[in-house]
Amino acid sequence: MRERFALQYKADEHRRMIGGKETIIHCHHYNARLQHTIEHVTDVDGAKIIRDSAEAVFAEHVANVLEEGDDEATRLAAVGALYAHLGFGRLELSRAAEGVVTSDQSHYVEGWQAGFSETQRKACTFTEGYLQGALAAALGRPFSVREHKCMNAGDDRCEFTVDARHEPVLRNDKRPSDFHPKAADGHGEHGNIDEQAIIDALVQMPFMGSDEGLIPAFGVYLALTPADFYNLMCIQFVEQMRAKGLFRTAQRLLTFAGETCAMNTFRGIMASAEWDALIAPMIQHKEDALYGLMALSNGFGWGNWRVTEHRPAETLTIESLNGYEAIGHREYRGSCDDPQCFMLCGVSAGMMELVYGEGLLEDRFGTFLSEENQCICTDAPCCHFEVEPA
Amino acid sequence: MVHRERSYACIHPETYKYFFHVDEVRRIWGVLQACYGPLHHTPGFGVIEIQSERFLFRAVGGGNPITVIRRRGCTDADVEALHRRIGFFERA
Repeated sequence: MRERFALQYKADEHRRMIGGKETIIHCHHYNARLQHTIEHVTDVDGAKIIRDSAEAVFAEHVANVLEEGDDEATRLAAVGALYAHLGFGRLELSRAAEGVVTSDQSHYVEGWQAGFSETQRKACTFTEGYLQGALAAALGRPFSVREHKCMNAGDDRCEFTVDARHEPVLRNDKRPSDFHPKAADGHGEHGNIDEQAIIDALVQMPFMGSDEGLIPAFGVYLALTPADFYNLMCIQFVEQMRAKGLFRTAQRLLTFAGETCAMNTFRGIMASAEWDALIAPMIQHKEDALYGLMALSNGFGWGNWRVTEHRPAETLTIESLNGYEAIGHREYRGSCDDPQCFMLCGVSAGMMELVYGEGLLEDRFGTFLSEENQCICTDAPCCHFEVEPA
Repeated sequence: MVHRERSYACIHPETYKYFFHVDEVRRIWGVLQACYGPLHHTPGFGVIEIQSERFLFRAVGGGNPITVIRRRGCTDADVEALHRRIGFFERA
């Protein structure tokens, strides 16, 4: 089964393709934070946005990895194997026909335990949506899936009920973008960091779930999530918030999730064995850590972004040639009037706070401000971020 | 003499790097393998690791220091057992 999920790396675009889908590497902390952000805004039904997005994307993703002639057992095995391969955890699907699926390992539960352990609530909305889409692809009919036991709520395993439903499976409707990224001209500042060596190492690294379906690496749990999922979820969240006059709030919330990602995920990465092994020896000046983080994020499939100007501890200017948020927005909705790269915008500020800030992380939040002042979504040739002290 | 330093990984807040005497490291990895499972070499970054139910043990090629990451479900008793095995004693 694993060979169906073999990585195809598009070096010129920094894209990681698995089962015909562009996948993005993020950690448990960011994924749980993003879910927490979207589900805790009372003005919209965040859980439905997450569930619907996962259903639409994974119905397509699982269909991509099924083969003609697969019997039902093999098709169900693919549902669990893809979930595990991408790092989301371990599913037990042997009782799916009776309407029960369980899980004893979960990327999202790990994220909630790390960031929001006090909540003691059911945390697996993503998995509900994954199962709705994946089971529909495998069994050819739509389902409604709800979690009724969760490890994050203190249960010994997560348990989901699977019921037949009448509403058709949601579709992942998008059009190929007509945008052509400008060529990377080799400019950009890299300090003492050998970006290509870092990306080569990342491509060699076997990012796939262990027997438990988790990917512990860089001091965090990583997962390979289709860019479509992030894009569909965030676009729907922003649209529904905008309809209520809350566009700026949505923008701030998603940007803050990116800033938190940079501070927590990248701090974990900078303390990891991988960092010590390859990147730390390249660092001669403080700003080299920032360039190292940029190189890693390019290798994680976020796109191709680079520093164009940097005054250490003061200002940072970054351009992004093909960030997944901008490209995704064009694919789903076409061009628009406002920049849409909220994650990269937040990460830009968060990296400055992490590399140059002092004291507790909590005290560093908001000490730098970032702005995306041009975006591929607004028909600019690239996205452009500026960061300065608050 | 073993000592440890806090490491800010976000899998678990109580994550430490344990530093061993250079002559001891090979033996310690042997103890860890005997108790917690086989050693794996990860291509790309040259990291070695043991993944077990309660701990992740990770290091760069030379094997020292060893980052010990506790996993969900890891108890105080698990940590005490590990410390006995590797000869780490908390200073009063």
